[in-house]
Amino acid sequence: MLSQLGDDAKLLAGGQSLIPLMKLRFANPAHLIDLNFIAGTSYIHNANSALRFGPLTRHAEIENSDIPARIPILYDCAAGIADVQVRNRGTIGGSLAEADPSGDWAVVLSTLATQVRCLGKNGERTVHLKDFIQDAYTTALAHDELVSEVVVDIPAKGSGGAYLAFKRAAPVYPTASAAVQLTMDGNVCKDAAIALGCVGLTAIKAKDAEAALRGRPISERTLSAVAEAARAAADPQSDMRGSADYKRTLVGALVRRAITIAVRRARGEHVEVSHLYA
Amino acid sequence: MSSSNGKDAKNWVGQALPRKEENRLLRGRGRFSDDIKLREMLYLRFVRSPYAHAKIVGVDTSTAEKLSGVACALTGAEIVSQTQPFIEIGPDPFARIKDYPLAAAKVRYQGEPVAAVVAESAALADDAAELVQVEYEALDPVIDAEEALENQSLLHDEAGTNLVWNGVFEYGDVAKAFKEAAHVVTIDRMHFHRFSSTPLENNVVIARWDPKDERIYYQCNNSFPSFAIQFLAAHLQVHIDRIRVETSDIGGSFGIKITSYPQMAVCALASKKAGGRPVKWVETRSEHLTSSAHGNERIFRETRVALDKNGVITAITSRHIDDCGAYPRYEPLGCVIWSQVFPGVYRFKNARIDFSQAVTNKCPVGPNRGYSRMQHLWFLERIVDVCAHKLGIAPDEMRLRNYVRPEEFPYTTPNGCIYDSGNYPRMLQLAKQKIGWDDWKKKQATARKEGRLIGIGIGTTLDSGTNNFGQSQIVNPGLPYSGNSQGANCKLDIYGEVVVAVGSCPQGQGHETTAAQVVADVLNIHPDMVTVRTGFDTERNVHTGFSGTYASQFAVSGLSAVHGAAQKLKAEMKRLGAFVLETKEADVEFGTGAQGPELIAKSSGKSINYWGLANIVNANSASLPEELYELTLNCRYIWRAPFKVPDKQKKYGNLTMTYASQLHIAVIEVERDTFIPRILDYAAIDDCGTVINPPIVEGQVYGATAHGIGAALMENCVYDAVGNMLTSTFSDYTPITAMNMPHVKYGHISTPSPHSYSGAKGMGEGGAAPVHTISAALQDALFDEGVFIDDSFNNADSLFRALVGKEISQMEKLVKVEKR
Repeated sequence: MLSQLGDDAKLLAGGQSLIPLMKLRFANPAHLIDLNFIAGTSYIHNANSALRFGPLTRHAEIENSDIPARIPILYDCAAGIADVQVRNRGTIGGSLAEADPSGDWAVVLSTLATQVRCLGKNGERTVHLKDFIQDAYTTALAHDELVSEVVVDIPAKGSGGAYLAFKRAAPVYPTASAAVQLTMDGNVCKDAAIALGCVGLTAIKAKDAEAALRGRPISERTLSAVAEAARAAADPQSDMRGSADYKRTLVGALVRRAITIAVRRARGEHVEVSHLYA
Repeated sequence: MSSSNGKDAKNWVGQALPRKEENRLLRGRGRFSDDIKLREMLYLRFVRSPYAHAKIVGVDTSTAEKLSGVACALTGAEIVSQTQPFIEIGPDPFARIKDYPLAAAKVRYQGEPVAAVVAESAALADDAAELVQVEYEALDPVIDAEEALENQSLLHDEAGTNLVWNGVFEYGDVAKAFKEAAHVVTIDRMHFHRFSSTPLENNVVIARWDPKDERIYYQCNNSFPSFAIQFLAAHLQVHIDRIRVETSDIGGSFGIKITSYPQMAVCALASKKAGGRPVKWVETRSEHLTSSAHGNERIFRETRVALDKNGVITAITSRHIDDCGAYPRYEPLGCVIWSQVFPGVYRFKNARIDFSQAVTNKCPVGPNRGYSRMQHLWFLERIVDVCAHKLGIAPDEMRLRNYVRPEEFPYTTPNGCIYDSGNYPRMLQLAKQKIGWDDWKKKQATARKEGRLIGIGIGTTLDSGTNNFGQSQIVNPGLPYSGNSQGANCKLDIYGEVVVAVGSCPQGQGHETTAAQVVADVLNIHPDMVTVRTGFDTERNVHTGFSGTYASQFAVSGLSAVHGAAQKLKAEMKRLGAFVLETKEADVEFGTGAQGPELIAKSSGKSINYWGLANIVNANSASLPEELYELTLNCRYIWRAPFKVPDKQKKYGNLTMTYASQLHIAVIEVERDTFIPRILDYAAIDDCGTVINPPIVEGQVYGATAHGIGAALMENCVYDAVGNMLTSTFSDYTPITAMNMPHVKYGHISTPSPHSYSGAKGMGEGGAAPVHTISAALQDALFDEGVFIDDSFNNADSLFRALVGKEISQMEKLVKVEKR
């Protein structure tokens, strides 16, 4: 249908981005292809040490399933997206395909080994998340392709993660967010993945911050160095959510807090966290 | 007594009676304006200006009108040719401006309507609106009120200035007070930000201009219809009785829905053009945020405070510049309404406030919960607070030294207002007890040693209710308004039902319940036996020129009218009862028997129920002697407030009947790493005199507290340098929700008002207590960091810029203390 209808057609998944855009008349597609009636597109499968998410799996399904208990960072993300109404409609596939610079899933999933399966006329292909999201609102999807599955490798034992955002109100996008997934060996961080949200055109993988954490003991000194590297990696814009300087400072603070929680979780502690709200 | 309800007489007022309207509203069975669908109804959509300030070169509606399903379009030019400009409340030169509901020659704020299209469906109207071509020629926008007063770019050429109004309010001997002062504190600039109310239900208008009887029928949610019809009749040039306004359930107004009359005008004119078909306009959220009305923004310049050696304030001088947006509309009433609370809760006698109001290229302002007074109260609270810090006086002690004392009530303010009753020290004591003041002081000291920024702040404020409209003459001596009044009707219907109507249009304040409580006490019956017709309807004939629901007054004006009507009915019933029961009036008692509510002759035990009584007057009147022909059992009563016209030159006189008071304490921590201000604890004490219904009062305290906390920390109407409104959706204008609310420790005291029949004071607006309180708590947290809380809006970003960036709110630059 996409190839028949051309550029004037839009895919409708959960509709939590597209419908508001249409309401404000920023988007005015001639055709809407509603994916919600396609059976078997909403699921969470656990096989071969990976989680496979159907493209139309709602945030609320992930929030309420038992699997994320094993990957707490997925719960932090799913349970913290906007409000209950949005979570009941919005989908993981839609969020990635929309590639909104403020979207939560891209930030969290870039700290895990994530593949996006793309289905088109010529069959299905698998794209690594870092190659899938190319720019703000731009993905590797061809015009006649859609997301058919999201595959996330389950982190090894001894790994822990956390996702924290500051939001001025529940239904709005974060001012900044930070996702951390790390593996501990005693008090030393063996491996770490750190991603920053809402401080650039896409989720930012803070490589220098990861390097500042990897192989180091968790100490005030390490945390300061990591936060500093995270601030340096951020490239925020001033807007209604906050000034660029503030967002840079905030994202450093969020990374620090997320590391502290991730470390405790890596040690097997059960830690519940909530985003920060005004 | 013979009542079957087992209660003593005269005690429904004060009971925690569940709200009568709850059943309807909580089950989704309310009837709001948008629920109304009429046959052949059309839908209206406005075409709005993307510019803040521009000349309109041309408007072309022809393509839109050709779209199938479009009934008609309206332009500003067309409206100018058919109507008179709206009445201006202010004097010359602003009385000369031409305010029409659609812009004709130029646009003056982003979102101002320039045309309207009317179509068979709302979606079609949206499509058609996009086809209207408007050519603009951009003009220099004026965004800042102080800049506006330089008159570089004029909004209204007819006025020749951007200054809407200026007046000096001076009382006592200011010069002497400054000469004798031990300390003089100077504050260069403070700013009260622009925010609004975000009622769940936006504005809705359904208008039908009926060609058969040449009458205009409105079903809408305007919250001050008697004001709206006075403006509409003059604008549309029809007799006022030709306009019928009905309101049904209303999902909040907080004052903002007072100013929907321009949209009401357009809907009527559109209906007329469409041959009398009903036209509905349902405002979108973005329209509401950009172009309904905002609260007044105010700048306080060159404030000087004189204090004696004990920190008692003896005089204040300041220059205030109020920003009313593009059109004055309900303004410049706000230029005087703040003076209802001229000294706030404080005793100082000498003051000089030079008050100006300016137009800017922003959304017009309208009354917004705490209207005009909260800006001034915040100004006073900031003064008291910063002086305490600067002079090293404990904030609670500073307030006690400056409060009007309990024994001084009724207290006459320097400008002649009479504060009816109050006990601020007792409220402070209760609030401190609720919050655990001493405990928090200890925790704060410990936390400070750890480098944490915790502040404890007090806000004391007033909610003045039941205006003397004579204050409008201070603004414009030519205005024909003074006093205040409200109408009510209480009747025994043919079958003996007690039915009450009152000229209010409640938006959640529980008028059905409280009016029933009052009538139940008068007639000694159960409130369930009283039917209250809710919502406004001109056809019920119970409105006066001031009828509506606004300005914290129903408990006084509304219930006084209901009480008066019920007493009138009671007197008639007694007279009729004495005749029927063959006894003297003094022998007749009111109660409830086996056959419902009844009148009994104490001496004989004979009784007649309400049906029997009503039947004699309405359907069995042959038995009625001629001297009782005047009885109707249908009693209309107009309550009038005992006001005098204030002295216009001296700006002196009593401006309000009752003064409810609020005292809040907040404990706030500003997080060192994220700069997020976190409310750790919160107490709210309220005094609205005699409480009619405790849960209704408590509910309104919570609502006002939420609104105030939102205003202080989350809600801000932001414009960029060229007048683009940056907060036109809920993603940017983030109204407070339950998630952001702290647990509120509520308490109340009651100092009955000697001015109202029941001792009640109007309440509901809450004086924006949280705005003052949160500013004070932040000040307490950040004083040692060199920050002066100079703005009523503070969020993580602005606190970061003050603390780290040092770009704003620097104490050193803004506040000076001179010791004599």
